[in-house]
Amino acid sequence: MMTASPSVFLLMVNGQVESAQFPEYDDLFCKYCFVYGQDWVPTAGLEEGISQITSKSQDVRQALVWNLPIDVTFKSTNPYGWPQIVLSVYGPDVFGNDVVRGYGAVHVPFSPGRHKRTIPMFVPESTSILQKFTSWFMGRRPEYTDPKVVAQGEGREAQPG
Amino acid sequence: MNPREEKVKIITEEFIENDEDADMERQKKNPKVRRQPRKKQPPTAVRKEMVSEKSHLGNQQEPVQEEPKTCLLSMTARRGPQSLPPIPSTSRTGFAEFSMRGRMREKLQAARSKAESALLQEIPTPWPRRLRSPSKKELETEFGTEPGKEVESTQQEIDSQSHSRVKFHDSARKIKPKPQVPPGFPSAEEAYNFFTFNFDPEPEESEKKPKARHREGTNLEQEEGEEEPPAHGGGKETDEEELLNGDDAEDFLLGLDHMADDFVAVRPADYESIHDRLQMEREMLFIPSRQTVPTYKKLPENVQPRFLEDEGLYTGVRPEVSRTNQNIMENRLLVQDPERRWFGDDGRILALPNPIKPFPSRLPVETQELSIKAELETMYKKAVKYVHSSQHVIRSGDPPGNFQLDIDISGLLFTHHPCFSREHVLAAKLAQLYDQYLARHQRNKAKFLTEKLQALRNAVQTGLDPEKPHQSLDTIQKTINDYKSEIRQTRKLRDAEQEKDRTLLKTIIKVWKEMKSLREFQRFTNTPLKLVLRKEKGDQKADEEAYEAEIQVEISELLEEHTEEYTQKMEEYRTSLQQWKAWRKAQRAKKKKRKQAAEEHSYDETEEPHPEEDLVKPIPPEPTDRAVIEQEVRERATQSRRRPGEPMLVPELSLAGSITPNNQCPRAEVLRREDVKKRSLYLKVLFNNKEVSRTVTRPLGADFRVHFGQIFNLQIVNWPESLALQVYETIGHSGPTLLAEVFLPVPETTVVAGRAPIEEVEFSSNQHVTLDHEGVGSGVPFSFEADGSNQLILMTSGKVSHSVAWAIGENGIPLIPPLSQQNIGFRSALKRADAISSIGTSGLTDMKKLAKWAAESKLDPNDPNNAPLMQLISVATSGESYVPDFFRLEQLQQEFNFVSDQELSRSKRFRLLLLRSQEVPEFRNYKQIPVYDREIMEKVFQDYEKRLRDRNVIETKEHIDTHRAMVAKYLQQVRESVINRFLIAKQHFLLADMIVEEEVPNISILGLSLFKLAEQKRPLRPRRKGRKKVTAQNLSDGDIKLLVNIVRAYDIPVRKPAVSKFQQPSRSSRMFSEKHAASPSTHSPNHNADYPLGQVSVRPFVEVSFQRTVCHTTTAEGPNPSWNEELELPFRAPNGDYSTASLQSVKDVVFINIFDEVLHDVLEDDRERGSGIHTRIERHWLGCVKIPFSTIYFQARIDGTFKIDIPPVLLGYSKEQNMILERGFDSVRNLSEGSYITLFITIEPQLVPGESVQEKFESQEDEKLLQASEKFQAECAFKFPNRQCLTTVIDINGKTVFITRYLKPLNPPEELLNVYPNNLQATAELVARYVSLIPFLPDTVSFAGICDLWSTSDQFLDLLAGDEEEHAVLLCNYFLSLGKKAWLVMGNAIPEGPTAYVLTWEQGHYLIWNPCSGHFYGQFDTFCPLKNVGCLIGPDNIWFNIQRYDSPLRINFDVTKPKLWKSFFSRSLPYPGLSSVQPEELIYQRSDKAAAAELQDRIEKILKEKIMDWRPRHLTRWNRYCTSTLRHFLPLLEKSQGEDVEDDHRAELLKQLGDYRFSGFPLHMPYSEVKPLIDAVYSTGVHNIDVPNVEFALAVYIHPYPKNVLSVWIYVASLIRNR
Repeated sequence: MMTASPSVFLLMVNGQVESAQFPEYDDLFCKYCFVYGQDWVPTAGLEEGISQITSKSQDVRQALVWNLPIDVTFKSTNPYGWPQIVLSVYGPDVFGNDVVRGYGAVHVPFSPGRHKRTIPMFVPESTSILQKFTSWFMGRRPEYTDPKVVAQGEGREAQPG
Repeated sequence: MNPREEKVKIITEEFIENDEDADMERQKKNPKVRRQPRKKQPPTAVRKEMVSEKSHLGNQQEPVQEEPKTCLLSMTARRGPQSLPPIPSTSRTGFAEFSMRGRMREKLQAARSKAESALLQEIPTPWPRRLRSPSKKELETEFGTEPGKEVESTQQEIDSQSHSRVKFHDSARKIKPKPQVPPGFPSAEEAYNFFTFNFDPEPEESEKKPKARHREGTNLEQEEGEEEPPAHGGGKETDEEELLNGDDAEDFLLGLDHMADDFVAVRPADYESIHDRLQMEREMLFIPSRQTVPTYKKLPENVQPRFLEDEGLYTGVRPEVSRTNQNIMENRLLVQDPERRWFGDDGRILALPNPIKPFPSRLPVETQELSIKAELETMYKKAVKYVHSSQHVIRSGDPPGNFQLDIDISGLLFTHHPCFSREHVLAAKLAQLYDQYLARHQRNKAKFLTEKLQALRNAVQTGLDPEKPHQSLDTIQKTINDYKSEIRQTRKLRDAEQEKDRTLLKTIIKVWKEMKSLREFQRFTNTPLKLVLRKEKGDQKADEEAYEAEIQVEISELLEEHTEEYTQKMEEYRTSLQQWKAWRKAQRAKKKKRKQAAEEHSYDETEEPHPEEDLVKPIPPEPTDRAVIEQEVRERATQSRRRPGEPMLVPELSLAGSITPNNQCPRAEVLRREDVKKRSLYLKVLFNNKEVSRTVTRPLGADFRVHFGQIFNLQIVNWPESLALQVYETIGHSGPTLLAEVFLPVPETTVVAGRAPIEEVEFSSNQHVTLDHEGVGSGVPFSFEADGSNQLILMTSGKVSHSVAWAIGENGIPLIPPLSQQNIGFRSALKRADAISSIGTSGLTDMKKLAKWAAESKLDPNDPNNAPLMQLISVATSGESYVPDFFRLEQLQQEFNFVSDQELSRSKRFRLLLLRSQEVPEFRNYKQIPVYDREIMEKVFQDYEKRLRDRNVIETKEHIDTHRAMVAKYLQQVRESVINRFLIAKQHFLLADMIVEEEVPNISILGLSLFKLAEQKRPLRPRRKGRKKVTAQNLSDGDIKLLVNIVRAYDIPVRKPAVSKFQQPSRSSRMFSEKHAASPSTHSPNHNADYPLGQVSVRPFVEVSFQRTVCHTTTAEGPNPSWNEELELPFRAPNGDYSTASLQSVKDVVFINIFDEVLHDVLEDDRERGSGIHTRIERHWLGCVKIPFSTIYFQARIDGTFKIDIPPVLLGYSKEQNMILERGFDSVRNLSEGSYITLFITIEPQLVPGESVQEKFESQEDEKLLQASEKFQAECAFKFPNRQCLTTVIDINGKTVFITRYLKPLNPPEELLNVYPNNLQATAELVARYVSLIPFLPDTVSFAGICDLWSTSDQFLDLLAGDEEEHAVLLCNYFLSLGKKAWLVMGNAIPEGPTAYVLTWEQGHYLIWNPCSGHFYGQFDTFCPLKNVGCLIGPDNIWFNIQRYDSPLRINFDVTKPKLWKSFFSRSLPYPGLSSVQPEELIYQRSDKAAAAELQDRIEKILKEKIMDWRPRHLTRWNRYCTSTLRHFLPLLEKSQGEDVEDDHRAELLKQLGDYRFSGFPLHMPYSEVKPLIDAVYSTGVHNIDVPNVEFALAVYIHPYPKNVLSVWIYVASLIRNR
């Protein structure tokens, strides 16, 4: 299909998931993974990572610091499908069940250099108040089947009716 | 170190300086201070001692002193402003001169007070000093001279030195600002400074130090003697110091106490006058003025303002800011920012057109805890529905308010109504005509035109008048010509108008006459209409004159016209005549030539074509005749004009007539009137398609008028899009019916209440009404004539009189949306928003209208928002010849095309990207499309292009004939379209696809879980854990494995000993009846003697091949082996696509082959037997089981015992022998012949089969039936959720069809019926075999995941492919036509899963038929693959199994028992007699024998090639003799359906190929494609034999059945010559 050494370009991503602000929650951990297009192939490093559980700092910032390193290298032939990092944060609820506290995604920066990104996080909401209650009670909040959907556009079209 | 200490030191210093005086003073006044030296020194202090003491003191104090100094420095630095000015020289000298003693007292007092206050000031900052110094001391004492410390300490020294200087300066400066103190007298401050500060000049101190050094000797040799206290003295000194501190502190506090009141000063309150304050404020504050800033101020000097908008650049609209605010801002900016950066070239503040940011920005989170929470708190907001027609919503910028639309509905009048009697019809017609007449009369166009004509004539007259010479002759002539042509036009118009008037009058009279005659005829009157014709007589003579004059004028005019025309025509005639003559001449010349030519070649003449057509000789025009014209004119005049003297008729319609009362009317009429009375009407008002109000219901009057007289005030917020009225009629007590809908125009903004005229809108309805009384009905023909001729069809129609207007508010302001109020002169926001709303959609296609609108609304041509429109208009108005009749929305697209289309199609990379994004199967999962074209091989596209070609041209090589090719093509197309539909549907995610959410538990689950909480914990109890299911998302090659667990097999055929003493076995002529009758075997165990019991009869092993991967078990022994082995086969999805859709369409089959491992001793020399073993392993294929992957995928696991598909002839093997071994099973086993294997197959990890897309299909079934079927299914599913219940299915067109429509007796092919004319059962078997020969093609593969599509039997036979349902339906239909009782059985079978079988009722027992294999089983056959029965379907009913069990063994098939079978059609819902979707009759073409033979040859050739391909390392020899033998044998097999020929065959083979060891078998399959045949041959592994001298034989036989159903036999064998 291809010649011996097809031309590719490399994208090296170094960084870390530094900290988070979840004023309502404590003792959270986060996971990250990458979503990228068909022309992208990770060549080195970890595509996925999971952090330690961290507690809120005791100062006024109340930050949840993970400092989870990210180090991955992609190769690609096409900027289309530029990698996105998908973060999902989990933590225990009142009953001690791990529930999801936030999803978020951001594109890996397009320009080289140091970048700092703040990702707004969100979670899917229960469909009804009753379900909200039961999900709270059972410790099974609504979750995405796959956290990667936050970085994908499929099925997001507004449907009539 | 605290301030007290400091003070102490200061005083000590002073004391040192002033010697005795100071000493005395000190003793007197400051006993506290004095104590210190006293303690250290004896009171008898002499000077010398003092010196020593001083030195001592200095020594002692200096370390201490240095510290406070540094501290002081820091302190002074902190005090800032107190820093010291240079000392006046006088102060020093003054000191010397003073005899101080006297003054010293007061000074000291003052100094003390000062010192106290200074101390007080210092108190707040004691700690830093304290903290620092001891630690430093410590460091210094303990560690000696550290380099770092040294530096620091030198620094300190320097500081201290400079500090002393500074202090001095300070004092001097303090003196300075107090000039009021008399010269010579030191002020209090001075005095204080004098006593408190160290006035020692630098040199003095340095002097002192050396002194001290000398005294201290070695200790002071160190450079920084002061900082480095002697090590020995350190401890003692600090002790003393502390003691001192304690005492001082006490004394000081005491002193403070009693002196506190001395410091309070009394002063008057500060007052600043308001004037001052204002003054100050004016200085401090800046209040920008509200005055407009002149432009020159805002611009750089000498720059003229520049207005971009005037220059034609688009500037956008500035946000609305009030003028004053703007001025204030400008003034402020002018002061703040003198560079005028904030002002644009036009001298205005820079502003963006839109203050709204295009992207959201997040507010910075405040650090306070509370606000963070408030900030980040998640809020739920309900989704807001997007308002589609936003342009019609009043913008937020507009003042909100209610606007009011008044709709006045005054009444309704029917111009036709079903209840109209004939008279009404006429009356309505009359009224209509009269209305027309009145309207025409009012306009009186004829008169107007007559007058115009007159005027024109006069004009011509005056124009011709020679007395008016002021115009050139030319222009006069021209105008006259114009006039004349206008006269002509006008005259024509007038004539037409007059004629119309006249005919109208005539028709009115005619209708009226008709009406009168009708009234007479029916002898009653229904309508009060009455027409009166008033005659107006005029002056006959004048009339006549005018008439005649008119005619004369007309004639003369016409004559003039004609002469003009005549001359013109004459001219034309002449020219054409000349042309003709010239042509004639030429023609003649030609003819001559031709004649000459003809003489030479006479035969050519006729063929020679006449190139030119003959010109017709022109005819001269005829001159006009006056008489003719006159006649014409007169004729016309009589027709269209009132004759002179004839009275003018003026019709007058009145309602003065009387209606015949009811009692005098005939019955039909009375009925009609009563019917009318029953009817009532109301109107609904719809605003923007929503009902907003409705009128009261009013009865229909006898005159078919309804008066409402209601005014509706619509308070609206939205700009009205549509306004409609719906007319509803109610008859009696029945519900209202919608008659018609009328759309009202939205009024102009000028139309306000009170000024709106009542308007009428017509409506009509297309309802059909026939009435049984005098009413004529609607939409039905009726006639006025007695004989029914001349029929009329009238539709219900009428008029609504209404008025719509904008209301006027209380203060007289019209309540119109303001957008349109600004309309005049301004560009309205509404119109700016959308052209459509202002000129309507139709206007968009009308370029001129659009352009006009654009001009009117003053669209900014530079506004990017208007670009598309402007582009269009510019094209339309630029006068280009080509005006597009379309409206392009993305006219800028071209600018965004980064390459031209040609380049896009030429580039391989772009092509690849395009194809991938179009989800073309080959490229859907293409990864890493290369960057450069050169890196893309042409090969990539080959497959795709080939497929594209193949789509149109189906290779006939693989297909028997064009028919089959067409079927394949059709199937391919259906498949593609369905798959495309499916791919689109796949994009629609449901909530459940995206989000995992727990269901709300119902009470029972809750209760159960609560119960579980209370349950005892049993940690050791084993629990079954469900396997994790994997959705096919991130799978890749190698992730999925197929696990095949081969458990055991039964009844494997065993080897026969060498057939040396072959005997013809008694042919067991098993009849059909024996198969199901549980009779013991009739086989005679005649081979018993041949087999010693202990001998291994067979060594079977199982080989599983899937996707060309092969795995096999170990070899077991005996005919009932048990392997219990798990084989693992990798699974690869096509194109690496592991999506559900792709997995569903995997067509691969798992072949499970059973082989016999045969060891051949190849030792040639018997003598070596002791030392070596030379055996060759051969394997002989015994049979196979095929399981399609799709079955495994959908079933998740397959577990059961399957019948091994064993070829009918298996040379060298037999099955008879196991009777002896396992006689116990005989009765059971013998029921169904064959070998069985127990398998367990699953996929690891478990894949989630795709949900079939639940689409609602349209249907032509009765709605009630559909509802009933839904209900039925729901009920069944509720009771037995696992049992299959089918009521409706989807046909091949995607429509829902009731299932029983598929069942109908259909004729099987004649050919089959004729085989066994008398044996019904044999015929049935043959038919079943025929059906099973139709290739099997699962729907789920072809129509991935959509749903089962059911094709009718003729479609099935045409397509020659279908799955279980189609087979079953066809078989069932055949059975029905054979007169059997047959049902379709829906249930579960292995390995198919949910499937359809056929059940028949034979005498006394039931038979279950597998339609795909043609096998049948008795009801109580344990090996029947059908395991569950869900429902039975007959041609007229559906029965659902409501018995406790669903296994066919345990249920009763008697559908007449309602307790066992729930029937769909019952007494409550009788069978409505549904027509069948099947054809009346199936038509079979005879199969083409020649084509079959051709195919047979081709297949044989292909297979032979394949076998040679599969043996690349060996020579493949073909034994032609054997092949021909086999070929003769195959038709026999077909005839006997593969039964009971084995022994004959064997004998024959033996006879012919006596010296060969032969292994081989026939394979039998239905024919669909070549590929399955190849696969089947491959799976037998015959080619695997690698004995050097092996020979092969392969024969193919195809037996054609009607409709191109082909039965394929392949005999494949390997031969080894016996030595």
